[in-house]
Amino acid sequence: MKKYTLYPGCVMQTEQYGYELSIREVFPVLGVELVDVENFSCCGEPVKSINQLLTLYLSARNLAIAEQQGFDLFVPCSVCHFALSECKNILDNDGGMRSRVNEMLASEDLEYKGKVGVVHTVDLLYDHVGVKEIKKHVKKPLKGLKIASHYGCHLVRPSEIGRPVDSENPMKIEAVLEALGAETMDYAEKLDCCGGLLLVNLPESALTKTGQKLQAVEEHGFDGLVTVCPWCQRMFDSRQKKAGETVAAKLEVPVFYLTQLLGLAFGLDERKLGLDLNLSPVDKLKV
Amino acid sequence: MMGLTDLFNMSKPEGDKQKELIRQLAVLGVKNPSLCFQCAKCTSGCEAMKLLELQPHSVMASVKTGFLDEMMNSDVIWACVGCFKCKERCPQEMSPVDVMFILKNWYVMSGGSLPGDYQNLLQGILSTGYIQEPVEVLDKDNKGWSREKLGLPKRGHPKNINGFMSALSQLAAEKL
Repeated sequence: MKKYTLYPGCVMQTEQYGYELSIREVFPVLGVELVDVENFSCCGEPVKSINQLLTLYLSARNLAIAEQQGFDLFVPCSVCHFALSECKNILDNDGGMRSRVNEMLASEDLEYKGKVGVVHTVDLLYDHVGVKEIKKHVKKPLKGLKIASHYGCHLVRPSEIGRPVDSENPMKIEAVLEALGAETMDYAEKLDCCGGLLLVNLPESALTKTGQKLQAVEEHGFDGLVTVCPWCQRMFDSRQKKAGETVAAKLEVPVFYLTQLLGLAFGLDERKLGLDLNLSPVDKLKV
Repeated sequence: MMGLTDLFNMSKPEGDKQKELIRQLAVLGVKNPSLCFQCAKCTSGCEAMKLLELQPHSVMASVKTGFLDEMMNSDVIWACVGCFKCKERCPQEMSPVDVMFILKNWYVMSGGSLPGDYQNLLQGILSTGYIQEPVEVLDKDNKGWSREKLGLPKRGHPKNINGFMSALSQLAAEKL
C-alpha cells in the first residue's frame, strides 16, 4: 500500500459526498492508502478576489501541515490543487515571500519547507497507479458507453505552475476511461469552463455556461459526462435542472465522478460509491 | 467600456499604483502589462467574453495607459471566470486574469463592498477555517444524507484556532 495524505478541501466534504465516498472505496482497491488529518482548512482560492495574500497563506498552511505527515498530498479538488500548486511555485522560487509566510505560520507552530508533492485524482490514477494496474481490477467493463471528459480549468492551466495534464490537449482521463472499457471522443467544447467560480457573484451567467456545455455534450451523442472536480460536478450534476432553465432546454445528461465510474467498472456497490446522491439521470446508464 | 483608441491618446503618466501592480505581478512570476501589443488572443479564448462581454485585452490596454482607478472600480473585472486561458495563451507571458485578481483586491482594500456571496465565504473562513459547513444532501427520493449517515469521518478544523485567527488578522491589512 502506498500512502497519501488526503486533503478534502471545502466543497467535497461539505456537500459533494459522492466524490469522497467513491475515492475512499476505489483507491484502496488500487493499493493506495489515504491518511486523514484534522488540522486542514480552506485552500484560499475561493477568496482570491478578496485578498490574494490570504489565499497564499491558507495554501501554505495546508502544505505545512501535510509536511508533518511526510506523505505526498492527494488533492481531489482541482481548485484546491491549483491553489496549492501555485503557492508551492511561488514559495519555492521566492525566498523573501517564503520567510514572510513562515513568520505568519509561526503563530500555529507551522513551517513551510517545500518537501511535499501535490497530486490530483487524474495523475494519481494515470501516473502513480497506471492504466495497466487499473485494467487488472475491471470486472464489469463499461462496454458501449461513450463518455465525454470534462477536465475543468484549474486542472489544466496555467502550465507555468505545473499542471498534471497537457494545457491544450489533455488525454489522461480518456486513457483511464478506455482502460475501463468505455469509448471516448474528442469534442470542440472539451476545454470549456463549467462556470463554477462565477456562481458566487453572477449565478445566472454561471448556470448559462453550465447549460451550454451540457447541451453540446448532449448534441454530440455522448451517453454521459465525467468530471474530476467538486466545483464542476456541482454545476453539471447538482444544478443541471437549473442550468437547463437558463438555456431553455430539458437536459438529461448523466454526470459522474471519474472515481464513481472506476467503482462501477470494479463491480463495487453503487450505494457505497454515492451514486444515489447524483441528481442527474445516472440511472439512464445501465452498467 | 471605453474605446481603445481614446485610451491610447490620453495615457496617464506612470504612477505609484502602476509600480505596485508590476511588483505584485512579479511575485506571481508574471510580466509587466506594458509589453501587451494588443493581439487579443486572450479575448478570443475568454470564457466570459461571449456571455459577459469581458475583453481582457481592453483591460490590459486600460491598465497599460494608467487607468488603474477606473479599472479597479469597474464591474468588468468581476466577470472573469478565472479559467486562466488568457494567462496560458499570452505570447508575451503576461496574465490578464492575474491583473484582474490584483485590481479586485485593491477595490476591496479601498473599502469597496463585496459582490454576491463573497462576504459569506470570507466569514466562513474567519470563523471555522472553511468557506462552508457540511450539509445534509438529498438523494432523488428526497432522503437526507449527512456525513455521519454516510459513514464519512467527522470533518476536522484548525486545531490551534487562536493561532490561526491571529495570523488571519495580521495579514488582513497586508498586500501580496
